Amino acid sequence: MAVLQQIAVPLLAVNDTFLTVVEVNFNQKAAVKKGDIVMVFETSKTTYEVIAETDGFIKLMCEAGKDYAVNDIVAEIYSSVDEIVVEEKKVVEVVVSKPATTGVSKAEFNYTGTTLFSLAAQSLLQEKKISPDVFAGYEMVTAKDIQLHLNPNAFDKVVETIATKAPQPQKQNAALPDGTTSIKLSSNKKREIEYLSAVQETGLTSTLAINISTNGLFGSVNKHLKYFKNSLLPLLVYETSRLLVKYPLLNGFFYSNQIYTYNEVNIGFAIDIDKGLKVVKVAKTNELSVAQVEETILELSNQYLEDKIPVESLIGISFTVTDLSGEGVSYFRPLVNMYNSAIMGISAIDEELQRFNTSITFDHRITEGKYVAQFLSELKSRMESYAYNDAEVNNHIKCYKCFKTLQEDLAQVGLLPVITPQGKREHICQTCWNGL
Amino acid sequence: MSKMAINHKIIKQALTIRRVEEKFLDLFSQGKLNGTVHTCVGQEFSAMAFAAQLEKRDFIFSNHRCHGHYMAFTDDVRGLLAELLGKASGTSGGIGSSQHLCRSNFYSNGIQGGIVPVAAGYALGNKLNKNGAIGVVFIGDGTLGEGALYETMNIISKWEIPLLIVCENNFYAQSTPQSVNLAGSITARAEAFGIKAYKGDTWNPELLLTQAQEAMDYVRTETKPAFFHCDTYRLNAHSKGDDDRSAEEINEYRAKDFLVKFEQEEPEYFNRFKEKIDEDIDRMLATIFEEGDTKLEDYYTPHTNQKTEHWIALETINKRQVELMNTFFKQQFEQSDKVVFIGEDCLSPYGGAFKVAKDLSFIKPNQLYSTPISEAAIMGISNGLALNGFKPFAEIMFGDFITLAFDQIVNHASKFHHMFNKQVDCPVVVRTPMGGRRGYGPTHSQTLDKFLIGIDHVKTVAINTFFNPAIVFESILQEKQPVIVLENKTDYGKKILTNPSKAFIYNRSNDAYPIVHIKPVVSQPDVTIVAYGGMADFAATMIEDLFKECDIKPELIIPSLISEIPVEFIANQLSQTKKLIVIEEGSSYSSYSSELIAALSEVMDESFKVRRIAGLPVPIPSVKSLEEQVLPSKDRIINEIKSTFN
Repeated sequence: MAVLQQIAVPLLAVNDTFLTVVEVNFNQKAAVKKGDIVMVFETSKTTYEVIAETDGFIKLMCEAGKDYAVNDIVAEIYSSVDEIVVEEKKVVEVVVSKPATTGVSKAEFNYTGTTLFSLAAQSLLQEKKISPDVFAGYEMVTAKDIQLHLNPNAFDKVVETIATKAPQPQKQNAALPDGTTSIKLSSNKKREIEYLSAVQETGLTSTLAINISTNGLFGSVNKHLKYFKNSLLPLLVYETSRLLVKYPLLNGFFYSNQIYTYNEVNIGFAIDIDKGLKVVKVAKTNELSVAQVEETILELSNQYLEDKIPVESLIGISFTVTDLSGEGVSYFRPLVNMYNSAIMGISAIDEELQRFNTSITFDHRITEGKYVAQFLSELKSRMESYAYNDAEVNNHIKCYKCFKTLQEDLAQVGLLPVITPQGKREHICQTCWNGL
Repeated sequence: MSKMAINHKIIKQALTIRRVEEKFLDLFSQGKLNGTVHTCVGQEFSAMAFAAQLEKRDFIFSNHRCHGHYMAFTDDVRGLLAELLGKASGTSGGIGSSQHLCRSNFYSNGIQGGIVPVAAGYALGNKLNKNGAIGVVFIGDGTLGEGALYETMNIISKWEIPLLIVCENNFYAQSTPQSVNLAGSITARAEAFGIKAYKGDTWNPELLLTQAQEAMDYVRTETKPAFFHCDTYRLNAHSKGDDDRSAEEINEYRAKDFLVKFEQEEPEYFNRFKEKIDEDIDRMLATIFEEGDTKLEDYYTPHTNQKTEHWIALETINKRQVELMNTFFKQQFEQSDKVVFIGEDCLSPYGGAFKVAKDLSFIKPNQLYSTPISEAAIMGISNGLALNGFKPFAEIMFGDFITLAFDQIVNHASKFHHMFNKQVDCPVVVRTPMGGRRGYGPTHSQTLDKFLIGIDHVKTVAINTFFNPAIVFESILQEKQPVIVLENKTDYGKKILTNPSKAFIYNRSNDAYPIVHIKPVVSQPDVTIVAYGGMADFAATMIEDLFKECDIKPELIIPSLISEIPVEFIANQLSQTKKLIVIEEGSSYSSYSSELIAALSEVMDESFKVRRIAGLPVPIPSVKSLEEQVLPSKDRIINEIKSTFN
């Protein structure tokens, strides 16, 4: 019979309830061959190509550049071109003529009685111009059911009872200044704006920063690192994950006048190497060793470069770290992601002062500056505790006069940093210092 | 001196009572007795006259000063000694101690007055059994201040119950002399009720023995009550240190005491008896001291909730709730000689204020007792019947009046089984209608459930309009413990499951006390509502409107056993909906909802939002407009749910 294939908007990521059709490769009623790429969807994370499963003729029910709800039918492939009847273009793009299938599980009962609509549901039906018949087979319909019908993921799992906001159509401003060129926002950018707006639009965020000394740090740390020698990220992610257990408010989010905290610590790190900004998850971070953290980061980075990040690595992120140390910045103010209460920014190491800056932007509706300050101060002392604490490093540091190493400093009083008459940074032992 | 006319066996037994009690005082001062003792030193011949002369098929109810009665009736000195020393081999396993003894038709309780209607009920049972047994209930002159006594005297006289009330008049109520406390005549009290009154004293034991026998013969042969006023005097304090009587007065009575005189006049016999008795006591004590106490696991069995497993679809029954109850009782009357219905105004053709007892007295007149306005006696007599193997259903006309029977429920019915170390059961049932919406005002509209759900070892059940109440009553018939049945006066006239909503499924569990579960046909509910009794019918009736107005799909859970929480089932539902509403007609402070929420909090890991909708904490007004606002109204329920969850 007529329809050989129906193309529906796929559910690719839980937070994406609408997808953008970025490419349509055929015209209305055009012939397609099995294996042709019919169209391409874009989500916040990735793109998705729809392949024709059969030869036939295409009936398009969508346009490139527009958003469609998950499960909406956007195209069909017919066995013969004559069977394709193209309806008048619908005013409402979110089509609701299909029978409701979500929100209410109706597995075991076959209800033939009258469907009752709550008052709220009745007005929503009117407002959305939905026929009550859509809900035949259900005994009761609430406003929530209608919202679910319109948007099956409206109350989805990741954070239960939280409706993901549908992208707001931007109002065209009539009074734009002359001499501008408009650049269409990419789907990614739209998502980004949406996600970052969630926390930032309240204006109730604050940023605190602290300097952490790197003096002697890598001598010790590099021993544990396999791939990212002289990188701060693995160790910072490792230490931060431990601290988040102690500071749960930074491992949560604010929603609907309530504070939620995540039961797990899943730190996400931001990555942006020509493939768009993504935040990927180091799952159960606080259960990993430094080496495991490093390995996970490497693995995720490779997946990112190959466009093969699994969806589960993109969701459920409880805290975000963004590392701009490679870009040489000395300080920046990162923006808190949706469903996060805080984000950490790592700035570059100042080689001259042997330190780097770590900043945290947090949602002030959840906690206060003091809490974050304590977090940062604890992080600093944890990071700095790595310096000079093993034999190799101790061996490496020596008095520039007598060459006594720190390890040989049996008096356990330590060495003093000094500037030599030649202007070099060196160390001197107590004996040489006193003797001089 | 008429001592020679008294059998030495009786003297020996009286002396045994005295020596045992003196030993108790000894042990107490050595710190070996836990609790307290009230001795009857000086009063022993009252015990000998009545308790010792009763037949073994007869019974005794005694009071706090009961050692003498116990030993005279049972000869069980060892059991008493062990009991007061708190040993497992004691009369009541050490649970009851001095004031709460039980063995072979002997019962005592430390509540003044309350034992009298219980004894009356026990004696009524004997009368119904036509076994020729009679009973004696011992009170003191202090108990003449208790109302339950007079309620009972009225009834035993009217119903011709074979009970002898022995009032041991020792002239003091604890420390207060009679001149301060007592008006009028003691015997005239009984005579005013048409009860034959006798009078005697313990200073002339020979005469007392004869008089007592005469009174007991009268009760037995005439099947009528009698009252015996027995003057006596306790030579020791009420308990131990609480004695302000003059030494002069005490010595005057000591000089009159038969055993004191016997010692003086027959020192050789006295000492021989005394040595033998003391030796026996010491020998018994030596072994008792070696024994262990009752173990907690032998005393207390942790409660396990009824387990809800199977669900049955509910069906409409085109009969009113009250008709179904009436049918149940009619069937029971026809089938059983042990079911007794007792309450005010329940004689047919009237058949009780709400007609539950309609025509019952036509079927078996001697199993239905229409009582005077005497709630304490109704309950007490029912307790006594229950102890004596009957299944009494007491009816308290309005729930508000149950407070008048409260002592009988809390201090008697709920206690007997455990305080007598599980030797007896008291499967009494008391039914009463609660609830307002009839304009009866502050004292005929209350929902006092909160006072009745927390009584240990008492089951409290609330019937509803969703299934035949006979299901609950059949389960109650099997109970060995006391049950309170709460009915609702607005439900009596309703039929079972009328106009169920098509959008909901109506099920009940197959438990002894079913839980009703009303849930959406197709959808998962998004709020869990718990209500019971009259409030459940109210909530079910408005369930569609509740859905429409509040934009939530409710499920309604209606427990019928409300003295325990079906916590597992409700927690399971609540873990889906995360929203709980409890609707109750009484005020919410310290109520079913409090207990429910506490129980859920103990078992649930996930958080849930909760709203209690209850009657306002003021007396229920009669005027309709105000009554509607004080009790949970439809509008208030909807508004409170909206404001909580939307």
